[in-house]
Parts: sequence; structure tokens; C-alpha cells
Amino acid sequence: MRFITVLACAFALPGSAIAADHGPVFGYATPVNSQRELSFDTGVFGRNGSGGTQFSTGSGFGYGLTPHLTINALLPATFGGGSLPESRMISTGEWYAGASWRFQHSVTSVGKRIESTASLGLVVPGPQPDSGVLGGLHRAPGVAGTFATGLASRSQYVWIGGGYTRFAEASSDRRPDTISWSGVYGYRPAALRRGYDKWDYRGFAEFTGEHTGNVVQGGTILPNSSTTTLWLGPSVLAIFKNIAISGGVQGPVFRDESSSIYGRERVRFAINFSYLKYSAHTSGH
Amino acid sequence: MMKKIFASAILMLASLTAHAEYKQVNLTVFGMDCAPCAHAIHVSMKGIQGVDTVDVDLNTGLVTIKLTSGNTATMRQFNQAVEKNGFTHKDAVVIARGKLTGTASAPFFEVAGTAERFALVPAAAGIDVSGLLGKTVMIAGVLPQATKGKVPDTMRYNTITEAQ
Repeated sequence: MRFITVLACAFALPGSAIAADHGPVFGYATPVNSQRELSFDTGVFGRNGSGGTQFSTGSGFGYGLTPHLTINALLPATFGGGSLPESRMISTGEWYAGASWRFQHSVTSVGKRIESTASLGLVVPGPQPDSGVLGGLHRAPGVAGTFATGLASRSQYVWIGGGYTRFAEASSDRRPDTISWSGVYGYRPAALRRGYDKWDYRGFAEFTGEHTGNVVQGGTILPNSSTTTLWLGPSVLAIFKNIAISGGVQGPVFRDESSSIYGRERVRFAINFSYLKYSAHTSGH
Repeated sequence: MMKKIFASAILMLASLTAHAEYKQVNLTVFGMDCAPCAHAIHVSMKGIQGVDTVDVDLNTGLVTIKLTSGNTATMRQFNQAVEKNGFTHKDAVVIARGKLTGTASAPFFEVAGTAERFALVPAAAGIDVSGLLGKTVMIAGVLPQATKGKVPDTMRYNTITEAQ
């Protein structure tokens, strides 16, 4: 158990950034579930590059233990091949179980909140890519921590966040540690600031980045296996009462990755569906 | 906004029948930015026994709760419904039926059907409640913001009349 140290902090959802029902589809954000709220997210995430295309689906469950503490789990599935770098911003087929804690929460006016959320969880290997460097590695569990802070209001949203994932070693192989970060700006036009019985739309500009460390294979560091990439793109979130649909696409703005190992990743995209089941329970007198 | 609320409060006072404790609560809630926030509040308030209708205005943060006759809903429950969703409750304008106790200089309002009791403070000078002591009254007033998990001790009342 010499692995597992880690943690930075994090945000609303698991170690990888499967879309949060109130937030962006790629980047980190702060919302957590209400007390006794059960949330279900499911999405399709895609990555395409010269090394192939990889799809993954993730179904996430969250339950609000308190107004500021949510436990969550992610059940993965991947399909399609592709030699692509490790990623924690896009679900790559990991089981995840953890908790998100909104440790700072300041309500400043009618529709405005400033808040910070950290999360910590255990990542367990799920379906493995069928090709590429990562497809041939022995895999072990890891620990993921994330942190996000920002502002939510009726008109604008701003979140910044980061995360760190460290994997254990398995049969002298080790997947790369991953540092990820994001900055998100969201806007809801005045015409769309309407009643809650109508569809609620907002758009986001999502900037994300990831640095993955070296791959260890057979006890040896694989040369040039570390990567750094930056991504930018729009996403849209639509919500009607307790149903949310979001989608987005990102293109690379910076890539430092070995094309001989990973190819050139060109585009990332995601579509997510969320269902929120709120609790009507209140204690008695 | 406040004028409209009190105008409707006065109209309600005129039309109320016996029974009924909290008749209407207009609670200002801070922190709701989006539709699910409002929906969560709606579901939570509707889960309180005795709540008839709930309307949430996201742009003003006003949650309007109308209650059925004979209810035993409490302000503590309304506040809890806000807190459990991670929001903050501010002032509440309430219309309620209850008993006037205490003295003319230090009157208290006990909400019928609940254990809630508020020290009364007139919103304007010149209101004489001595003739209503010991009687069942209808009152419209403001409960100031309370800290989390608490209910305020005082009510700033605008109108008070003997209940029919």
C-alpha cells in the first residue's frame, strides 16, 4: 500500500469530470446534492485522435447526506479503441466511489452563491482500452482528489478547479499520475432568466488542462510517455425542473504528447443526461 | 413588492374563516440560481403537511407558501426546507391565526396548532392591542431572518384583528 498519498481537493463529481447536473460538462464545479437528494448522471464521452477513437460511458450516482456532503459513485464502460493518453477530465473507464464536501458556502444575495467544494475518492480499474500503451498495462487502484471554487448566480458562473490522481503499481506497471485543472465561465442571457417551470438554459466556455506523468511498464519508465494538453470549447446545459441535458465539444489549444506513443488527440466531446430526485422529507415540529 | 404583499394580506384577513394557523408565508430565500434550486424548494415545501400551494420566483428569491385550514406547519419546518437544500432563509412575511397573550406593553402571539410563540413589536406606533389580549387574532407581520436551525423570537406586525 505504498501508493496512495495524494489529494489535492476537488469538486462536485468524481475523480473524472463526468458532467455535474448543475454545472459544466468537462470542467470542475462546486454544486453538490441537497440533503437526501438522489442524482443520476449518465453520459457518453468521446476522444478522437490519429491513434483512434475512444468512447466511454459513465453512470454516476450521488446522494446528499447533508446539505453540503454528497457521496457518489461512477460505474464505467468503454468501447472503441484508440491509443490516447490517460485522462481524468474525460471518463476513461474507471469505477469510482467517493465523497464531495462543500466546505465553504457564502450566500451573498438573492441568486448568488460563492462556494468551494473538495472531493476525495477511490478509483478502481474498469474496462480497459483494447489498444494503445494503456491497453497493455497491468492496472491497480488509485486515489483521486479534486477541488473547485467559484461563483454561481442568475446571470453568470465562474469556477476554477483542479485535481490529482495517483495510481498504485501492479506487476511492476503503473499508470501515470494525473494533474488536471479547469476554468469555466457560464452565462445565462436575461431573456432566459425565467420561471422554474420553464426550460433553463445556460452556456459555458470551458478551458481544461491535464498533465499526465510517465507510464511505468515492467518497472521501467516508458520514455516520452508524459503528456501535457490544454483544451478549450463550448458547452450548453439545459434543465427542466429535475432533468438536465448537457453537451459540449473541446479542441486542443496546446499539446505536448508523443505522437509515436499516443498519436495526436484532436477532439473531445460529451453528452450527459441527469435526473435529480429531491426529497420532500422535513422533520416534524 | 412589500406593499403588494401587505395588500393581499389585508384582503386575506378579511376573507378568512375560522381554523387555519399559518395561512400564508412569503419567505425570501437567498442562493437559488437555477431551476433545479427552485424545484428542490418546491418539493421540500410541498412535503410539509398542510402546505397547499408553493410558488417560487427565482429572480426575487420569494417563496410564496399557502396553507390549508387546520394545518400544523411551523416556521421551523419552512426554514429546514430551505436549509436542507443549501440555501439561506431571510425575512418572512406571514399571515397567521393564533392567540394574543402577555400584556399590552409586552404582547405575545402564539400560533394556533404549533408551539411557536413570538414577542410582538408593532411596525408603526399607535396600535393598541390591549382589547385583544386573550383573544384569538389574525395577524400579518414580518419574521426577521433567524440563524440556521432557529426560529426568530419576535414578529414585527403590521395588522392585527380579532379572528372571526
